[in-house]
Amino acid sequence: MRPPSPSLPEREFLLQALHQSLRLDGRAMLEARTPTLTFGPEMGWVDCQMGKTRVLAHTTATMVKPQPERPLEGTITIHSEISPMASSAGEYDSGRPSDEEITITRMLDKVVRRSDAVDKESLCILAGERVWALRLTIHCLADSGNLLDCACLAAIVSLRHFRRPDVEVIGSDVTVHAPTERAPVPLSIHHTPFCNTFAFFPPSPSSIAAQDSQDPLSSPLQIPILDPSHLEQRLCTGTLSIALNAQREICVLQKLGGVPLGAEEVLLAVEVAVRRAKEMNEWVDGRLREDWEGRKGSVEVR
Amino acid sequence: MASRIEILNDGGYRSDGRRQYELRDITIDLSQQGQADGSAIITHGLTQVLVSVFGPREAKQRRETIHDRANINVEVAVAAFSTGERRKRSRGDKRILEIAAIIKSTFEPVIQTSIYPRSQIDIFVQVLQQDGGLLQACINGTTLALANAGIPLLDFVCAVTGGVHSTSPMLDLTTLEENDIPHATVAMMPRTGKVTLVTMETRLHVDRFEEIFRLAIDAGKVIHREMKIAVKGRTEALVTAMGSASKVASGGDNDELMQDY
Amino acid sequence: MSSSSSYIVLPGETVPAQHVNLKLGPGLLQVISEISESSIISTRAGTVNHSANKSKWWVESNSKRYIPAAQESVVGIVAGKSGLDGWRVDIGSAHFAILDGLAFEGASKRNKANLKVNSLVYARVSLAHKDMEPELECFDAQTRKSAGFGELKGGFLVRCSLQMCRQLLDPKHFLLPFLGSRFPLEVAVGTNGRVWISSKEVKQTIAMTRCIEAADPAGGAMDERALKSFFNTLDL
Repeated sequence: MRPPSPSLPEREFLLQALHQSLRLDGRAMLEARTPTLTFGPEMGWVDCQMGKTRVLAHTTATMVKPQPERPLEGTITIHSEISPMASSAGEYDSGRPSDEEITITRMLDKVVRRSDAVDKESLCILAGERVWALRLTIHCLADSGNLLDCACLAAIVSLRHFRRPDVEVIGSDVTVHAPTERAPVPLSIHHTPFCNTFAFFPPSPSSIAAQDSQDPLSSPLQIPILDPSHLEQRLCTGTLSIALNAQREICVLQKLGGVPLGAEEVLLAVEVAVRRAKEMNEWVDGRLREDWEGRKGSVEVR
Repeated sequence: MASRIEILNDGGYRSDGRRQYELRDITIDLSQQGQADGSAIITHGLTQVLVSVFGPREAKQRRETIHDRANINVEVAVAAFSTGERRKRSRGDKRILEIAAIIKSTFEPVIQTSIYPRSQIDIFVQVLQQDGGLLQACINGTTLALANAGIPLLDFVCAVTGGVHSTSPMLDLTTLEENDIPHATVAMMPRTGKVTLVTMETRLHVDRFEEIFRLAIDAGKVIHREMKIAVKGRTEALVTAMGSASKVASGGDNDELMQDY
Repeated sequence: MSSSSSYIVLPGETVPAQHVNLKLGPGLLQVISEISESSIISTRAGTVNHSANKSKWWVESNSKRYIPAAQESVVGIVAGKSGLDGWRVDIGSAHFAILDGLAFEGASKRNKANLKVNSLVYARVSLAHKDMEPELECFDAQTRKSAGFGELKGGFLVRCSLQMCRQLLDPKHFLLPFLGSRFPLEVAVGTNGRVWISSKEVKQTIAMTRCIEAADPAGGAMDERALKSFFNTLDL
C-alpha cells in the first residue's frame, strides 16, 4: 500500500504558514533541530536523535589481509539499514529498496568513504599483510523527517568516537595491546563532513504576481527551509543536500531533480551550509571531548 | 592526487587534445528504434547512450497509478561491454538504481504529467559505451527521446559535467579525468537558466565549486543548441516525408525564442 | 464515564469483575475453564475502570493504531473513489473505510456530495465488523441532519495518540477550554488519533498544534500547569 499522502488542509496550511515565515514546530526557516548525541559504553557506539528522528551507528574494527591491489590501505565498509519500523506508514519495506533508501545509502557512501574522511593508509599495520577493516553499521530507527542528515551525523561521529586497540610491530610480529594495557588510539580523520538538507517550497501567489510584472522570464525565488520535518519533506517541491566540512570544502552536493533553482539560490544554500558546518564542528568536538573526559577513569591506564 | 597521465599540459591541452572548455563531439540519432514511441541515441565522445520512451500508456501494475498525474518509470541498464573491462552489473546495483532515481526526479517537474492522469511513461536507458559523463549523457538522451516521443515538456534539460584541475576548470570530462579530479554534473533548463540537478561527489572548496557551477550552466546552453538542431532536423525530415516541406521552412524561422542561443 | 477506583493491570491478570448484567469493554476477556466457573482476565496493559454500579468494566490504555468501533466519530482522509458514488477513506485503521456518497445531509441520487481526493471528512463510524470494511456516515442516523459532520475545510490536522483524543473529548479536560479562553477556535476531535483544528490566525493554529502535542501522554505529557507556562512562551 502506498503511504497515504498528507491531506489538502495540511498542505494548504503548511504553505500558508511558510509564506508568513512560520514553521509548525516553532523553528525559524533556516534553523535546524538541535541533535542529541548519546554515546554507548563501547567506543564508536552513537545514538543520534534529531527531534523524533533517530539513528544508531556503531563502528568496529577487525584485522584482515589487505586487498592485493591496495596493500597499504585499510578498508571501510558501511552497512546501512532502514528498518521498516522507522516509519508507521510503511514507506520502508523490507523488499525492494525505495528511492529514498537508495539516496541515503549512496549519500553515506559518498560522505564517509569517497570524501576520504578517514585516512585509510593509517589503518595499515604491516604492508601487504595486516590492515584494519572498519565496519560501520547504521540502523535508522525512526524517521520523522531528514533521516539523511541524522544518519550522516551519526556515521561521522561514530568514526570520530571510535578507538582501535593499539598495536606494536616488531619485524613481522604484530602485538595487539588490550585496552587495559595501553590506551586505544583514535582513528586518523582528515576532516569531518556535515550534511545539511534544504527543502524548497513554492513562493506565495502574491509574490509571483509582483515578480511577473517586472520580468516575465524570471520566476520568483523558492522558499528554502533547513532540516525539513516529515510533513515538510512530504510536501516540498525539491530538496538539496550539501555535505561540507569546517574547512569550507564541499564533499557532496546533490540536488536530484525536483523544482528548478536559480544559481543564486543554490549558492545561497551553500553559504548557509558553510556556516552551519562550522557550528556543528565545534559542537561535535565539544561533545566528544566531554565524553572522553568522563571515560578517563575507566579506559586509560597509562 | 598525482597521476601518470597529465590532465592538462603546459600548452593548455588535455589528454585527448581538447582545450579546457571544449566539449566532445556530440552526435544525435533520433531515428525510430524498434517499438518505442520515441527514442534517441546520443554520443558524447566515446560515451553512448540509447534511450527509449514508451507511453503515456496504462500502467502495468494498477497500484502504481497516481490519480492526478502520470507516473514516470525509469529503468537503466548498463551493457557489460560498455567499459574497458568487461563487467556485468546486476539490476540491483545501487549506483544504477541511483541514476534511475535521479532521472525520474529530474524529469518529474519537467514533463507535464498532470495532463495524463492514471497513466505511466516508461523511460528505458541503455548505456552502450562509457567514457565519463554517464549521467550527463543519460539526461540529455532522455530529453531528446521524450521530445521525439511527443511528450509535452516545459523545457529542455541539458546536462554537462565540469571539473577542476588544481585551479583550472574544464568541461565534459572523460573517465580518465573523472577519476583524477573533482567534478560536478549540472543539469539546467535553457529557457530560465535554472538548474534542476547538481551533484558533486568529490571534495572541492566552495569558491572553486561556484566557478565550475556557473561555467557548467553556460555550457548547458551550447548543448541545448546542438539538441535543438537535432530535434528540428528530425522534425523537418518527417514533415518533408509527409510532403509539406514548404510550410515548415517558413514556420521554423519565426521561432524567435528558440533562436536566441 | 465515572470510575470509582482504577488500578494498573498487565495482560493475563485476573480482574475481579462480577455483576449479574456484566458488560466487558476493550481489553477484557472472559475465560471459561473447567476448574473454576469463569473468570475475567485483562488482555491489555492499562488501568482498569468500571462504571458506578460495577456493571461495565474496561481497560484504559494508550495506543496509536485505531480499531474502528461503531458510533465513534473519526477524522478521515479521502483516499480515492470506491464504486460509482462512494469514497475510500483512510481513518488510520487497518483497512480503508467506505463512505457512501448518499450518506450526507440532503444528498440524493441527483445531488451527491462532491469530495476531492485528499480532503478531510469528519464522520461517524456506522458499521464496524471484524469481517467487513468499516463504513462511515456524515449525518445523524435518526434526524438525517449533518450534526457537525461533513467535509472539513481549511484548518490543520494534528495527529496524536488515541488516549489524547479521548481526553480531548472529555469536557472536564483542561486543554480545549483553556485554549478557547485565549482565542476563538474550531475543533473536530476524532477518536482515531486525529484532531482537526482551525482558528483565525496561522500563529494560533500552530500554537494549538504544539499544545496538543505537548499535552499528549505519548509525547510531552505536560500537565495543566506546565502547559500554561509553555503556552506563554509561544509567540502569539
